[in-house]
Amino acid sequence: MIENLPILVVLAMVVFAVTIPFWKKLSFRFTLILGGIVLVSALVANVAIWNHVQANGEILFRFGGHLPFLGIEFKIDAFASMFSLFVATLSLLIYLYSSGDKTEGIEQPEFFRFYVLFFLMLFSMYGILFSNDIFNTYVFIEILSLTSCAIVSIKRKKEAYAAAFRYVMLNEIGSLSFLLGIAFLYMSTGRLNIDLLRDALHTGTIQANVWMAVAFFTAGLGLKAAVFPFHIWLPDAYASAPTTSSAMLSSIVSKMYLVILIKVYAKVFGFDLLKGSALSTLLLVLASLGMILGSVYALAQKDLKRMLGYSSVSQIGYVLLGIAFFSEAGLRSAFFHMISHGLTKAALFLAVGIVIYLKQSRSVKGFEGTGFQMPIAMSVFAVAAFSMIGIPLTSGFIAKWNLGIAAETASQFGFLVLIVVSSFLNAMYFLPILFTAFFKDPADGPQRAKPEKIPAPMLVSIGALAVMILLLGIFPDWLMTMIDVVLAGF
Amino acid sequence: MAKQKLLVSKSSARSTVLVILSLLFFLVFVASMSNWFGLGDAIASSEALVRIAMRDEWLLVLLILPILGGFLQLSLGSKHVKWRDRVVIGTTFLDLALSLLIYPNALDGGIQIDFPRLLGLGLHFHVDMLGYAMILITNVVWLFVMIFTHVYIGHEKRSTRFYFFLALTYAMVLGAVAAADLFTMYLYFEIMTVASYLLVVHDQKDDSIKAAGTYLFMGLFGGFLILAAMLLLYFEVGDLRFLSALNALNDVGSIKYWILGLLIAGFGVKAGVVPLHIWLPRAHPVAPTPASALLSGILIKVGAYGILRVATSYYFPLEGSADATWLTVKTVGFFVIWLGILTMSVGVFMALQQAHVKKMLAYHSVSQMGYIVMGVGIAMYLGDHGAIGYAGAVYHILNHALFKSLLFLVAGVVSHHTHEMDMYKLGGLWKKLPVTTILSIVASLGIAGIPLFNGFVSKSILHHGIVEAVHEGSWVFQIAEIVFLVVSAGTVASFVKMNYHLFFKKTERKYDSIGFEWDGMNAAMIGLSFFIVAIGLAPGFLIETVILPQIRLMGFDPHFVEEAFAHLEYFNPTDILTMAGVAAAGYLIFHFGTKHHWFHLHLPRWMSFDYLIIFPLYQLLYRSCKILDRKNQAKWEEDERLLSIAGTNDTDTFSRIRRAVVRLSDATEGPIMQGDALIYAGLIAASLIILFLTAI
Amino acid sequence: MNLLTRILEQINLIGGVALFLIGLHTVVTHSNLIKKIMGLNIMGTGVFLFFVAIGNVEGGVPPILVDGNPLYINPVPSALILTGIVVSVSVTVYSLSLVVRIFQSYGTIDAAELAKKRSEVSEHD
Repeated sequence: MIENLPILVVLAMVVFAVTIPFWKKLSFRFTLILGGIVLVSALVANVAIWNHVQANGEILFRFGGHLPFLGIEFKIDAFASMFSLFVATLSLLIYLYSSGDKTEGIEQPEFFRFYVLFFLMLFSMYGILFSNDIFNTYVFIEILSLTSCAIVSIKRKKEAYAAAFRYVMLNEIGSLSFLLGIAFLYMSTGRLNIDLLRDALHTGTIQANVWMAVAFFTAGLGLKAAVFPFHIWLPDAYASAPTTSSAMLSSIVSKMYLVILIKVYAKVFGFDLLKGSALSTLLLVLASLGMILGSVYALAQKDLKRMLGYSSVSQIGYVLLGIAFFSEAGLRSAFFHMISHGLTKAALFLAVGIVIYLKQSRSVKGFEGTGFQMPIAMSVFAVAAFSMIGIPLTSGFIAKWNLGIAAETASQFGFLVLIVVSSFLNAMYFLPILFTAFFKDPADGPQRAKPEKIPAPMLVSIGALAVMILLLGIFPDWLMTMIDVVLAGF
Repeated sequence: MAKQKLLVSKSSARSTVLVILSLLFFLVFVASMSNWFGLGDAIASSEALVRIAMRDEWLLVLLILPILGGFLQLSLGSKHVKWRDRVVIGTTFLDLALSLLIYPNALDGGIQIDFPRLLGLGLHFHVDMLGYAMILITNVVWLFVMIFTHVYIGHEKRSTRFYFFLALTYAMVLGAVAAADLFTMYLYFEIMTVASYLLVVHDQKDDSIKAAGTYLFMGLFGGFLILAAMLLLYFEVGDLRFLSALNALNDVGSIKYWILGLLIAGFGVKAGVVPLHIWLPRAHPVAPTPASALLSGILIKVGAYGILRVATSYYFPLEGSADATWLTVKTVGFFVIWLGILTMSVGVFMALQQAHVKKMLAYHSVSQMGYIVMGVGIAMYLGDHGAIGYAGAVYHILNHALFKSLLFLVAGVVSHHTHEMDMYKLGGLWKKLPVTTILSIVASLGIAGIPLFNGFVSKSILHHGIVEAVHEGSWVFQIAEIVFLVVSAGTVASFVKMNYHLFFKKTERKYDSIGFEWDGMNAAMIGLSFFIVAIGLAPGFLIETVILPQIRLMGFDPHFVEEAFAHLEYFNPTDILTMAGVAAAGYLIFHFGTKHHWFHLHLPRWMSFDYLIIFPLYQLLYRSCKILDRKNQAKWEEDERLLSIAGTNDTDTFSRIRRAVVRLSDATEGPIMQGDALIYAGLIAASLIILFLTAI
Repeated sequence: MNLLTRILEQINLIGGVALFLIGLHTVVTHSNLIKKIMGLNIMGTGVFLFFVAIGNVEGGVPPILVDGNPLYINPVPSALILTGIVVSVSVTVYSLSLVVRIFQSYGTIDAAELAKKRSEVSEHD
């Protein structure tokens, strides 16, 4: 029974997405509740899958019973299971937020379309995680790209269209590069299944095609994951998308592309092949540039969401740095950082969404007195900001610590300077907001304005995220043991 | 009106009782330690008492109690002010009692508590006598300042928030000094920085926000330096406990100097070492008086404690090791001594120039921290003979906490009554505030190092230390000794100046509104002064009970320790004569300085520290943006014109860097975002070249 | 001569990559949005050509079952390409609808003018 759970999860997502137009005819509330049930059961299923995988090893699912050479295979190992757990948790919390969301952006008639896209995105994300066939992964990547572009442009405003257009252009270039990479691999090995690819690549000499494939994969996934020079779509997209979409994109979707990158590097090519190569240097350079320049540009932004977007670029640089060392310590830090950043960015975007809605302004400057008007939202923002800066007791600190250890294990001590400098830059743009929010009185006199009435689901959602950030910061061991289980399978 | 007076006097009676009670506790403590009337033996022979006192859990209670108290008083809020204040003072009082209780346990091999599963590396606490000394002084000063605060803040708005963050800072300080490894200490240190930010920014005026921002940014900067050092140390040594790491570190080359340098710089920000001290004179004037007292009294000591702890634990060998292993710490110690000398001179020089009382006291804090850092440097430099420097530094930490907090409280009382902080505008207050005057004199005698007051012994020990450095080290420390004496004279001069201008100067101002009242503030201040005098009269007590046991634990040469300390006659003629000479010199400096207006020098703008360090960086960034963004030349020139009109404000260090960074990114963001094909071609070419070069 | 023969042998593969690069160039340099979409399609076509060319086997017959056991060409890439074409079509559809909306909102489909109009709008905020 448990063997079938992954497929059921994936199916549930797509079935629910496709049938939403029917449910909504009954009542929208009913649709929301049904969606919640689907997500909660997906979460429970994922927990069960993790337990099973940890105890019994990976689950293999062959579609149509065909052998891997001919057919498509789903492999759910510890790696896939941990990240699907991550996706399930975050999507549930963001869904909870969106169900109470009365903020700007998505007009009433569009709501159900938003949820169709939401569930299709989840479908594709589970597919990406579970799939063991590289072309199948490509198909799911395409679904993810299209739905994420659509979820950006669902707000019927001008900026959203232009931003989504650039997003789709760059995404498509990325996807086509990825496809070309698959073509090169197929050309040299004749296989599409990831396990078979790895076996084929490790026998015999490495031809130039394989390096071309590595290059195209890196370029394609780098474009989609907003690695430094290719990040140009990101600030516009995050800024003009509605809050929930930005949260989804920044916390989960961007991680997915990095997960595929790790999967491709580790499972298709293998780290021993890539370790001493120039690829490592290139990724290190790009990661460092991303870390520093992302924060530098974030400092200069006047729009809050654009600032958070550039901050994401910087954090993706951190994860890429962890990957670029091609070592176990590096992967450990990359995994932890992805999970920690997913929680933190979601908390930031969701809290900021509440603030922007109530303040009717997206400026970085207009925060006076917000600390008292919206205490919960600003406290969550404060906790998430501390996590980004790397103050102990939050998960961000543990992530930075692990990254530092990974850098040292690779004997690259110079990166410690980079980590410190970028943390300090993070402080420089987050702290002034906190200062003005809690310590400056609004222009119309220092009153303790009554906290505005915010719908409960939104508060519960961001509260849960903040609690998780703190818990992960104080008791990181349970996640570290999970990561160790995952790394054992590499 | 009458009702309010009744309220004040009842609570002031309670405060007085509390002060007397705590002093009684200390009396009992001293009595049992010194075995007066056989009290010590009686307690030691009582099985039950010994068993209770030796329980490790008291340390945990000591650490957690302030946090619990903080939350409790937060929930009581402004609605139940009386109970709230009782909770605050009660928790502090209990903590003081607890800290007296854990002395025998700490003496007997230190108290150790571990939580291995938290935060990845686990939290570990270990209180040896150095940690115990810090805990003790923290509790003493905190209790008296809390009693003072209770009256001073009264019903001010947002006092609940103030108390909560005071409690949080208190818990964090205790945790930081009780930490057994660098990781735990770093955790507490960072949260302490964030919590104390709230204290500085309390009145939320623009000045406070700016100064507190500088404080927080510099504190975080120091924290990041410590983090980098911690990462390096963890990687090289594998264990962050405060134990000798020389086995692992000796073969690693220059990294051990980097680690020590980063740690000294990181903790030095908090300790107010020049040139990282710039936050101190900005934060103290804007913070409320109790916060300034605690900031100068305790928080900066945590920085000095950090430097002392890391230098003497990681880099000191285990007992009885050969000379060669001391090399690292001796080399760095040389520089630390000069760092201390620099700090103390800059501090006293700037202090003499100030008119604002709190700013002057802030610069004196910098100067006295220079003494302490010099002591640490001597401990490092003299290697296994460094016990003198170690003892001097620790003793001066304890003494400075007492008299500096008392001085800030005095300043607070003066400002409370006169609403004026410019010393040149005050005078003749001795008639209206006699008790405060006497207390101010006591504290000033303490900081000046006059015999019979506590500063004398620690300064003498430090003086002996620097003389020892001359004997054992190089002659160049003779210069250091002369500077030491000059700075001490300057300190005397400065305090003569302050007391004269505040209390004794003849002036026409009539302070009709001030009436003398006995309230909790006076009780608290007298309590503190009691310690100053008591330590001054019997300086050996602290050395015997706290400092010597710690020194015996460290790897110092035992023969030297016995020689230097066992027969130390504190009131020997040489020291007293030196002190008399310094005091006389100080008075002369004051006399001639006032006559010839030496104390009103206005330094040229380019001599301030942030100008020297930050301005070049700012100019570099600024010029590069101008080159990059040639299209918007007009806009840049307009900006520059506006800046020069507004004047370059010193407090704008970070905002200046920020502005430059903003300009740079504005200039470059546009072209990148437009997808300028040229830039992409350039980036691709650059990455191809990098790949090519590394592939070769 | 040798080089020329080798190029001619692999002309399909080279052509595929060349189309990919031409398409990429179009997307990056042309400022007209419709031309960008066309560039994307050209890129896609290049990749598909590359894929199909991989599947070619010298002297093979189309992969339709007939009697006997002739040498079939590899059918898998063709199947993959069908999926790819579907994806390409749906992306084109989506992009074109975005272009329509952009034209309705901004009145232009030139990327440079678009950027100027957007920066004007954001300065007024």
